[in-house]
Amino acid sequence: MNLFFIILLILFSSAILAFISNRIVRGSSGIIAFIGITAASILFFTQLSIGSTYSFSLGGIQMQFGLNSFTYLFAIIVLGLGVMASLYSIQYMKGKERLGYFYFNFVLTILGMVGIIFSQDFITFFIFWEIMTWSSYLIVIYNGYSVSKVGIKYMIFSALGAYAMLTAIVSIKGIYGSFMIKDAMAAGAFNFTDHLYIPILLLIGFAVKAALMPLHVWAPKAYSMSPMSFTAVFSGAMSKMGILGMGLVLASIYSHASPEDSVNSLILKQVLGWLGGITAVMATIYALIQTDAKKLLAYSSIAQLGYIVVGLSTGTQLGVMAALFLAVVHAIFKGTLFMAAGAVEKQAGTTDMTKVSGLIRKMPFTFFASLISIIALAGVPPLGGFVGKWMLYESLITESDSYFLVIVIFFSSTAAFLYSYRFLFGLFLGQEEKETEHVKEAPLTMVIPMTILALLLIVTGLYPGILFEPIAHGMEYLGYSNVNWDMSVLNNIWGEQTNMSYIFTSIGVVFVVVILFISLKGYKGTRNVGTKEISTSGEIPLEHENLTYQLDYYKPFERAAAPLYKRSMNKIWNDIGNALEAVFNFTRRIYTGNGQTYALFVIIFLVILLIFKDSLFAN
Amino acid sequence: MEDLGLKIFGAILTTIMAFAVGMTYGGIVRKLTARVQNRFGPPFYQNFLDLVKLQSKKTNIAHGFMGHTAPVWIIIASITVLMFIPILNGNLWFPNLNFHGDLIFILYMMVFGSLGMALGAGQTGNPNSAIGVTRGLSMMVGYEIPFVLALVALMVQYHTTSIQDLMQIQHESGTWLIFSNPFAFLAALFASLGMFRYSPFDIVGAPAELASGPMSEFGGKYLGTMMTGGSIFSFIKLTLYVDLFLGGAGNPDHIGIWATLAGIGVLLIKTFTLYMVPVFYGWVSPRYRTEQAIRYFWGWPTALGIIGLIWAVY
Repeated sequence: MNLFFIILLILFSSAILAFISNRIVRGSSGIIAFIGITAASILFFTQLSIGSTYSFSLGGIQMQFGLNSFTYLFAIIVLGLGVMASLYSIQYMKGKERLGYFYFNFVLTILGMVGIIFSQDFITFFIFWEIMTWSSYLIVIYNGYSVSKVGIKYMIFSALGAYAMLTAIVSIKGIYGSFMIKDAMAAGAFNFTDHLYIPILLLIGFAVKAALMPLHVWAPKAYSMSPMSFTAVFSGAMSKMGILGMGLVLASIYSHASPEDSVNSLILKQVLGWLGGITAVMATIYALIQTDAKKLLAYSSIAQLGYIVVGLSTGTQLGVMAALFLAVVHAIFKGTLFMAAGAVEKQAGTTDMTKVSGLIRKMPFTFFASLISIIALAGVPPLGGFVGKWMLYESLITESDSYFLVIVIFFSSTAAFLYSYRFLFGLFLGQEEKETEHVKEAPLTMVIPMTILALLLIVTGLYPGILFEPIAHGMEYLGYSNVNWDMSVLNNIWGEQTNMSYIFTSIGVVFVVVILFISLKGYKGTRNVGTKEISTSGEIPLEHENLTYQLDYYKPFERAAAPLYKRSMNKIWNDIGNALEAVFNFTRRIYTGNGQTYALFVIIFLVILLIFKDSLFAN
Repeated sequence: MEDLGLKIFGAILTTIMAFAVGMTYGGIVRKLTARVQNRFGPPFYQNFLDLVKLQSKKTNIAHGFMGHTAPVWIIIASITVLMFIPILNGNLWFPNLNFHGDLIFILYMMVFGSLGMALGAGQTGNPNSAIGVTRGLSMMVGYEIPFVLALVALMVQYHTTSIQDLMQIQHESGTWLIFSNPFAFLAALFASLGMFRYSPFDIVGAPAELASGPMSEFGGKYLGTMMTGGSIFSFIKLTLYVDLFLGGAGNPDHIGIWATLAGIGVLLIKTFTLYMVPVFYGWVSPRYRTEQAIRYFWGWPTALGIIGLIWAVY
């Protein structure tokens, strides 16, 4: 049997097994899911070689599984994060209801994504896309009745995207006569000259998963209300499937663009770039007013995906590279952050930042992982996030004409410091309250994946070349030639560079010297105090007095940016929904459900037919 | 190996110079402010005395891990940025890694210290510190916009993202960038008001309102180390402005000892002049509220920055 099938079969059987085993031994399904995903990953990374394909036919349609260097990049994200999240999930989901149901869908989602990565034709692509959508929908509604509305919203938008994609796929088959993705790319099916609607419909389908404005409204709640161990995959890996699709479409537009295409693709660049930019800004300013850490992270995910879309929209070598690099790094740090939020939720009972604070001494490892991820998220040197941001800015400044987009992106990433700090302060810093005294560090199997991912962020900062290599191969598959990369030097086309090893050396040397100085100097005279021993300007706070500052955290910023907060895509979609409802109400007057009315319609139809008999059947 | 030793010596020398200049400037401003307010004021070397006092305290209060490392973050940011900014154009005495890290890197690295400071202040649990931090971060979103507009304008106008190249362009053409793109300079100058946090933008420390904001829980060796980092940092900001807009200092054709000293002299004159802008502005202004400060930067400074960018493109 073929290796592609074996990997899919392992995943599928472990999904089934996880579903059944929970009935036999309670809590065993998590372990089975972890083993299944790990086994599939080991097989994938050791046995499967890039470029191998396997064709088969089903119902007379030729289908093909295969692995190319572009999708290999996404396989790293999906399987890497999948293994970590399933390991984390064992303890996180412990003691919860319906574990069989959860893990069945969890593994099935991974299976869907692996299937998407394998598929070389649109039919298998679409089938696995739907498997992924449906199983993730079932997890979104896992938390019961209260989230059913969230699930419906997710489903509606996913269905919208799926129909758009299906229309495009059928059109491609009709026009170019092949379901193969590679054929369509080579034939220029995504180009703007002949059939404008095909790339647009496909992009709509992918933009839903990538949570691009205006199709993002399902994301904040769907991300924050699912179990955190799944959200790590949901936001980290699944949103990247949208990026995978967009990359395929856009890159083949740019690399196969003919001269007469240039006007159209210029418009496309601008439209997509600005959509990404506005997504980033709006999601960022909404992220910083959230009081729930999970929701904050959900909005921040949308913002980060906005950057990735901006990078893709430039279409230049550096820009696409930045986008793909950010995609991988985002999967790492956002996966870690959702896991950290989940750890806090598990240990302290809630992630509401107005209720939890000062966990740093109680959960030091979770804090460390969050700190590293937040530094990467904010794009502060020297971690992986900075590398991506640097390339994104340089590509926008040096290779494109959209200079104002740089400012928009910069605004959003400066404002991102606000919510980054809010997350750390809200959960881990600030006053230590009595309510959280009992909190302990999360179990080992939850801490290990977080720590591994956090360390990966440091490695990708020092040696971004580790990721550049697969990215460069992937881009060569998409049609870019001579993709430049160095192990730890970043270059732009004007010849400037940033050398990560020098930065690491400088930071490392100063860090060691100063930390030794500050720790050793007056070591005996240094007194460690808690958060209650603070200067209060002479007043002595009473026992019950609250010194926590968590409510209305960025009120001044909110006031300053008030005009921005008036815009809400939710409102617009609600208006569209209401308008549609009115239309449907009108149709209900025609389709009343009453047999008499339908009989009347038949009579009216016959009458019309009789009256226009001559003109209709003239010959 | 000899080369490396010389470089390390140069790096230490640069740091000491930046530290001394920053501290002295701070002292001079204290004295001048006092005279303007009709007080006698401390001597200009008062900051050094303060530092000695702080570092020789026998007991220190540590507020957990982040509080302990906050000064380290500030020093890291200061010294790293210092290493990557050209102090004198083409001078061998001062190490210059600018070839290995361009403007975008500098821009992001400058935030590193504030982030560490914010985290340290957060762990102390003092509500005043937290309020100060939120104000500081909010204001940063304000002044970074005109600042980045100005920088992007320069980068686009001269097709380089390297400070060294921008200095070289000014040296070769003989025109400072302040004249070739005045709007960008004005936008950046307004942004510097927020960066130096003198009145009316002293909302972070906010004397008599927030105690001293993020700093309120730090004392002894911690405050002393922070002061050191802060002094180096204010010198860096000034040098960056001088490098970008005022032609920098030093002449790559003459690198002898006297030329170097002359270069340092020019650098001191230029940086001090620039430093007086936020100080003078502060003397005559009362404090803004946070949202007013943010709105201030999003008003005329941003408009000037946009004009500067359009000027640069066309």
